[in-house]
Amino acid sequence: MTEEGNPAPAPRSMFDRMRERLVPDGLPEDDRGRIRMVVNSLVLHLHPAKVPERTLRWTYSWGLGGLSAVLMMLLGVTGIILLNNYTPAVPQAYLDILELRSNVWFGELIRNLHHWSANLLIIVAVLHLVRVFLTGAYRPPRELNWLIGAGMLVLVLAANFTGYLLPWDQLAFWAITVGTSILSYVPLAGEWLSRLALGGPEVGGNTLLNFYSMHISFIPLLIFALMSYHFWRVRKDGGLTMPRGLDEAEPPISERVTTIPHLVRKELVFALAWIAALLVFAMLVPAPLEDIANPDVSPNPAKAPWYFLGLQELLLHFHPLVAGIILPGLAALAVFMLPFFDTNPASVGVYFRSRRGRSLTFLSAGLALVLTPLWVLLDEYLLNWSAWLPGWPALLSNGLIPLAVLLLPLFLLDEWLVRSFKADTEERVLFIAGFVFTAFLILTAVGIFFRGPGMGLYWPWELPVAGH
Amino acid sequence: MSETTHRTRTIEVLVGILATQVIVFALLFYILAEPERIEASQGQILDWHLDAAMTLYAGNCSVCHGLQGEGIGANPPLNSPGLQSMPYDELYKVIARGRFETAMPAWSKEDGGPLSDFEISKLAALIRAGDWQATGDRVVNLGLAPLIPFAADPDPLLLEQVAALPDGAVLQTAIQVYARQCVACHGADGLGTGIAPALNDLQVRAKPADELQRALLYGSPGTLMAGWENVLTPDETSALLVLIRRWDEIPGGAIPAPDVPVPVTTESLVLGEGLFAANCARCHGPEGQGTPRAPALNVKGFLTGVTDQALQQIVILGVPQTSMPAWGDRMSEAEIQAIVGFIRQWEPDAPEVAEPLRPGGGGGGGPPWLRDSQSGGQGRGQGGGRSAWAGQGQDQTTAGAGSARAGEAAGTALPADQHTGAGEGGQDGPPAWAGTGQEQAAYTTAQETSWRKDLDWRILLLATGGLSIAFTLIWLGFAALKGKRPEE
Repeated sequence: MTEEGNPAPAPRSMFDRMRERLVPDGLPEDDRGRIRMVVNSLVLHLHPAKVPERTLRWTYSWGLGGLSAVLMMLLGVTGIILLNNYTPAVPQAYLDILELRSNVWFGELIRNLHHWSANLLIIVAVLHLVRVFLTGAYRPPRELNWLIGAGMLVLVLAANFTGYLLPWDQLAFWAITVGTSILSYVPLAGEWLSRLALGGPEVGGNTLLNFYSMHISFIPLLIFALMSYHFWRVRKDGGLTMPRGLDEAEPPISERVTTIPHLVRKELVFALAWIAALLVFAMLVPAPLEDIANPDVSPNPAKAPWYFLGLQELLLHFHPLVAGIILPGLAALAVFMLPFFDTNPASVGVYFRSRRGRSLTFLSAGLALVLTPLWVLLDEYLLNWSAWLPGWPALLSNGLIPLAVLLLPLFLLDEWLVRSFKADTEERVLFIAGFVFTAFLILTAVGIFFRGPGMGLYWPWELPVAGH
Repeated sequence: MSETTHRTRTIEVLVGILATQVIVFALLFYILAEPERIEASQGQILDWHLDAAMTLYAGNCSVCHGLQGEGIGANPPLNSPGLQSMPYDELYKVIARGRFETAMPAWSKEDGGPLSDFEISKLAALIRAGDWQATGDRVVNLGLAPLIPFAADPDPLLLEQVAALPDGAVLQTAIQVYARQCVACHGADGLGTGIAPALNDLQVRAKPADELQRALLYGSPGTLMAGWENVLTPDETSALLVLIRRWDEIPGGAIPAPDVPVPVTTESLVLGEGLFAANCARCHGPEGQGTPRAPALNVKGFLTGVTDQALQQIVILGVPQTSMPAWGDRMSEAEIQAIVGFIRQWEPDAPEVAEPLRPGGGGGGGPPWLRDSQSGGQGRGQGGGRSAWAGQGQDQTTAGAGSARAGEAAGTALPADQHTGAGEGGQDGPPAWAGTGQEQAAYTTAQETSWRKDLDWRILLLATGGLSIAFTLIWLGFAALKGKRPEE
């Protein structure tokens, strides 16, 4: 490939010159060249020149962080294309979506791709967080990157939520109306916050413009900045945590292989496979679109976007201040503080940290799987705190007291773990997080699949089918 | 490089090639299908808009432009070829801004109307490409069918009296024209209705003739009053003016209210049948044959003697001093019209004499002369069958309904078996008033549900799946915890 060593260099064509300009050193043929290529390339420089072979295992990272990045890129590209056919105004926004469907070549495909990538991104980002949690990969020195990652998850949710409104159909309008109604329960600043977000007393043209500008400028810019930092931080903190089996006492010494081709090939194949899958999915399954938003006609049930249905489910059981502010606030605080109170460096890289950790996680997930539906049913049909405590303020009778009653068993379980099993901080964190996360997943599933008209409990196959 | 990494690499490369191929071919096929998809979605969106437009038409336009856009009186028809080929912008402008000096108001929100731009454009699409037959059905199903095309028959005796008045012939003409064109809105004897003012009125009589004439010929902008210039002859116009100014001389009752039959569609009949079974059959009998609690409806004498309006009034307001409740606040206009339409379609085949169902005393149903001799064994036998059916659900219920129908089809010769048997069963199922086979079958399908009836394989699958996963996890957790205690 290279011309070096040729005694009489052949006359160089225009294409040779172009190739030389693009890849000055030629395509690398040995490890030295490959390492040089990584080091000299802006994009590839996100990777170290060599990586431990062990961290390349699919079954450790599942490529979730990489997939998030791929989805971000897909969202960026499709989003920019969509910008060309969209006006953030009422009712033009909706007409533009109709036009995208009926008059724009590939308009529907691009919209579907954007829609499904965005929804997949939420799932993938949460799974990424779960993976990092289970392997303890947020321990020092990676605390900061955990914070950045958790912050990005919040931004991804915000991006999805603001994008949800843009089609301006019934689904969008009412999901955002339900979703933003929680803002007004923030203590002291609630009304002000709600007006700030909505640009008025209720969802309308100003909200659309607000959400649009957030969706296309502020949030993606911030995500891009944080994402770059996140990548850089991964390198600075020593790459991926070293995978380790449950029975391996010490982090193993792994052979280091060159990034090109071992890591880059994996990434490329992974990205291609997911893009192919998404493309086929987007071609087959259209993104939902209902009638134009009509503030006078609310659908029954009116549901928030699916990823907030766990919270909406909580709202059915608790005072809004508890369900909408205190509980999610505490959960977020716990997530952000995690690397500062769970610091045992010995178990980094081990799924579930230890055999005991795994048992406790299974136990907590199993318990949550039984107790959460049980509690939903009980609260739906039997418990009636506000009637049992007449005259008490709703915040107490329908908020803090049932919350205390609910948290008490969790606290007792935790005590029991400490007393009978001498569980340490790490194991208690695994147990409680496993319980709360499983419970939240179940609440979300209940909200999505089991809530029908009037937010009553229905079987999934009895739910009314809406939309066009 | 080890054996496994070599294999991994091969798999990765293969997956990469496969993914690339999928991307290329999927895009290729998509590109080829894109023109078709665009065309299909255009059609789909048009259908969707036309569907919404029909509802808008029913709520906003049909009162003046007629059930199927055929126009009413002086209001122009919309189902004309001329309008179909009218440019979209022109249609939009007429609907949005209204027509000067006509009854057509501005509908756009910008001009104080109720409709958004999007809705107006849907209506324009309806005029250009709509199905007026389907539109008419939609208007009926929504209970918004206009009253206007209906005319009244003037009372012939009173008409003779009018002829005896000075200028009687003119007044007679006017009454006939009024009964044909005006009565639907301005009401019997010109006393007004909910949509138009009374003309038989002191203040109207005091108005100068030219003002009245202007309103009559050119309409009254901002109201539903259309201009009648092109519909009425000059003679008819002047006769109507005379009538309006001399109405105090006309005997009351000369112009009765028009008979407005409730229009029906396939959907409204289905709706009416369901509503009747759920709400009316309990007292009036499932076939309207009447019971001791309420009179028969399905009988010639009743159906020919009552107008649809009277039926609607009865349903809406109820009958005081009887057990007929007022349904007006429980059902919508459309639902009440659907029930009336359903009752009305019995008329051609209605029997001359009703045969009301009679409940028996003491748990047995049927006519009293058959109650004691047969009811015992038969009744208990069917009663036992009924409790089994309550447990088994749908199949048995429909079978019960079927047998009830069969019993009725057999006529009145053998009513006792049906009635007594099911009546006995009524003790453990529906309340005692459910005295007859027919009633029970109709009623229990709607009312009686057992929790076991809800149980199907999906619920079992969900419950067993969830529980087994949960208990496996718990068991795994416990087993591992107990098996390996910490060393220290």
